[in-house]
Amino acid sequence: MDRERRVLIEAGFRRLIDYDRCIGCGVCEEVCSFLHEGTPLIKLYRIIDGIEKPISCFHCTKAPCVAVCPTNALGYDGQGAVTITTTRCIGCTSCIAACPFGIPELLPIGHTIKCDLCKKLRAQNLEPGCIATCPSNAIIWGSPEKITRSMREKALKRISNAYTLLASQ
Amino acid sequence: MKFAFMCKEPGSRRGKVAVIGAGPSGLAATGYLSCQGYEVDVYEKLPYAGGPMMFAMPSYKVSFDGVIEGVEDLRDRFSVNFLFRTKVFKNNQNRADVGDEFVERNMPLEDIIENYNAILISTGAWHPNTIEDFKNIRNAFTAFEYLYFWRLYEEGFLFNQFIKGRRAVVVGEDLLVVESVKKMLEQGFEEIYILHSSNINEVPMGMYWIRSFLNEGVSFIQYTKIAKIVTEQGIAKALEFVKYEPQSSHHISRSIECDLVIASLGSSPTPPVIDGFNGIEIDSSGRIVVDRYFRTKRDKVYASGSVVLGAIYRLGKSFGDGLNAAKNIDVYLQKRRYM
Repeated sequence: MDRERRVLIEAGFRRLIDYDRCIGCGVCEEVCSFLHEGTPLIKLYRIIDGIEKPISCFHCTKAPCVAVCPTNALGYDGQGAVTITTTRCIGCTSCIAACPFGIPELLPIGHTIKCDLCKKLRAQNLEPGCIATCPSNAIIWGSPEKITRSMREKALKRISNAYTLLASQ
Repeated sequence: MKFAFMCKEPGSRRGKVAVIGAGPSGLAATGYLSCQGYEVDVYEKLPYAGGPMMFAMPSYKVSFDGVIEGVEDLRDRFSVNFLFRTKVFKNNQNRADVGDEFVERNMPLEDIIENYNAILISTGAWHPNTIEDFKNIRNAFTAFEYLYFWRLYEEGFLFNQFIKGRRAVVVGEDLLVVESVKKMLEQGFEEIYILHSSNINEVPMGMYWIRSFLNEGVSFIQYTKIAKIVTEQGIAKALEFVKYEPQSSHHISRSIECDLVIASLGSSPTPPVIDGFNGIEIDSSGRIVVDRYFRTKRDKVYASGSVVLGAIYRLGKSFGDGLNAAKNIDVYLQKRRYM
């Protein structure tokens, strides 16, 4: 494992959108748009009529976009976020082709942008905007252990609820 | 849910701002302005902040503790002053809205305009549209009131258990239908009828909810018009309606027996004035008129959220609006300092 990736796994901050808990209210998109001059980097899409969910960069630990970037514009920062250095970006769109989620976006001005987990806010030791403002706590932020624990606890709650329902029948 | 998510400590700006209404829009603006360093007073008629997030949304959707934490963070870290149970309205005027039962103090709008460097009106839309006959019926509510009363019961403000029964009728098609019907299903209603005036495909709740309710045994009746609510000693017993076919003159009169009637017909904005006041213009549907900088025509008075756009069902839109209005207030106050 190369040095860069080890650093970010040890730094250990992850963001996870819990789609079960998400209510599709759009606060994350609006806040992101406010923080990034009108270009939201987390965005809601209506995939089923009546249900909207947000999608944003997953900040992969083995990010295909970083691997394919020919100018090293994409890379990992100290906390594990996949970020882009716009001055190095040549707008080749190879990251868009490589990303399994279609996250990077080519701006008309000629370079790509993507979520940087609010670099400016993190520099002041604050949480990224979408995480801080989510009204239903659907966007989880923390170490991989914390995320695993929270997802498992949720699953256990569902299972034990089902048991109590069965028992009461 | 943090409202002051953009800073660790207050900035160095000077000035006093009043925010009227602590809903998503008002709280987002409060967060931004207090981060910049302004002294913010928030006027709210209800006993808690959060607006519809706190009083009209079911618990599985919003983390109430999270909202309260965010508000306490504003109060403790940024010394935001929350004035609860205080209704702001133009002197000598009043209007009955949902939530007025909590009001202990009235604050004239004129005094607020005089005492602050800038004012943001974000009073939302707390006047659910209703059916005339509903007033005297004990088991007929608007969907907004139904959800609101449930929240009051959950928060311990109402002591009597809410109406239960077997059959419920929901009239209308706006987005609160989804939450109301879910609540009814949870409460064990066996037969739920949703009556709407148009085609089922035009219902704003979307196919996902329609399908999921059909699976739960909820019936949808399309192309209907309410004729009469049959009451007995102030309690609705049945709902009579006309079912018609589009492009034909054929109608059938039908009646459904019911234990609960809910109307979900949208909400009207509730600005703190009845009609125009000193440049604060109100349009024909009750909304405050603002330009693209969220300014009313009255100097230093801004407005955002549902009171400007008419009931918004999208939390994000209100929140974003509040942030942008706050940014404009900040620009305005800074400009004024250097002029």
